[in-house]
Amino acid sequence: MALDIERTPPDLDRAYERLRGELDVERHERLGVVHARDLERFAVAAGTPAPWSSAPPLYVSSVMGWDVGPAEGELRPDGSGVAETRGLPLDGVRLMGAGQDLELHEPVRAGTAVVVHTRLTDVRRKDGRSGAFLVLEVLRRFTDDGGRPLVTCRESFIAR
Amino acid sequence: MDLAIGTPITPYRVRPSTVGLFRFSAATWNAHRVHYDAGHAAAEGYPGVLVQSHLHGCYLLDAVLAWAGPAATPRRFSWQNRGIAVAGDVLTVTGTVTAVDDDPQGGRRSVTVQLTEHNQRGELCAPGRAVVAMPL
Repeated sequence: MALDIERTPPDLDRAYERLRGELDVERHERLGVVHARDLERFAVAAGTPAPWSSAPPLYVSSVMGWDVGPAEGELRPDGSGVAETRGLPLDGVRLMGAGQDLELHEPVRAGTAVVVHTRLTDVRRKDGRSGAFLVLEVLRRFTDDGGRPLVTCRESFIAR
Repeated sequence: MDLAIGTPITPYRVRPSTVGLFRFSAATWNAHRVHYDAGHAAAEGYPGVLVQSHLHGCYLLDAVLAWAGPAATPRRFSWQNRGIAVAGDVLTVTGTVTAVDDDPQGGRRSVTVQLTEHNQRGELCAPGRAVVAMPL
């Protein structure tokens, strides 16, 4: 009889099943208007040399929260929020970014209203030295509110 | 600028500080404690507060744009997070031109650069690749 000694954690099992149901479903969200002060703060924090006539190229794909965000009591113990899971059903697991692949179509300028179109394109279950984990592939298309492409972001995440 | 396959970019060196990491977390509305709470980072097994994934990406692309000049426009960029970095590490981005495609009619050229970011011990933190449009 085979012993299943490397059981996948139940939360990961549940997340995997939920995510399978999300495959190729595209969600749309109006993120809001880019403000000059916000993109300049991003540039200062990243050490990006001036001048900043438009948003630093990684701005729209790096910002984790575009609205006021949850109250502190609604954050997870590690400080992360539910919205940082890119709107995917990932309660009970931790998400870590593994990198991005960006197509930079147009500069994002202050005053642009940004819309994101998010789709989970793949989810795989893997076993590593430190246990089971999921690998997610997420496609995010950032456009303006007229549908003009700004940035296309293909992103990998590890969920434990 | 004279460009050919194998041309190196100017090395780009940064030393992220705890204040800088806190400000990047604030600018991106990223409240994860591992980036500003040293006790939490230690409990997670890290030697210091972690440089954010996206900040590694910023360093890599900024290296290319600092070398290419203000007339350059980034078209495509990718990176992978391979190793951690913490506040106080000295990170150096180096890179090499791997393709040059001239468009004489458009007066532009497309330049591809392979990039790596290493810490002061020579450990790889993040490889990347950028394609930038530059004037001929």
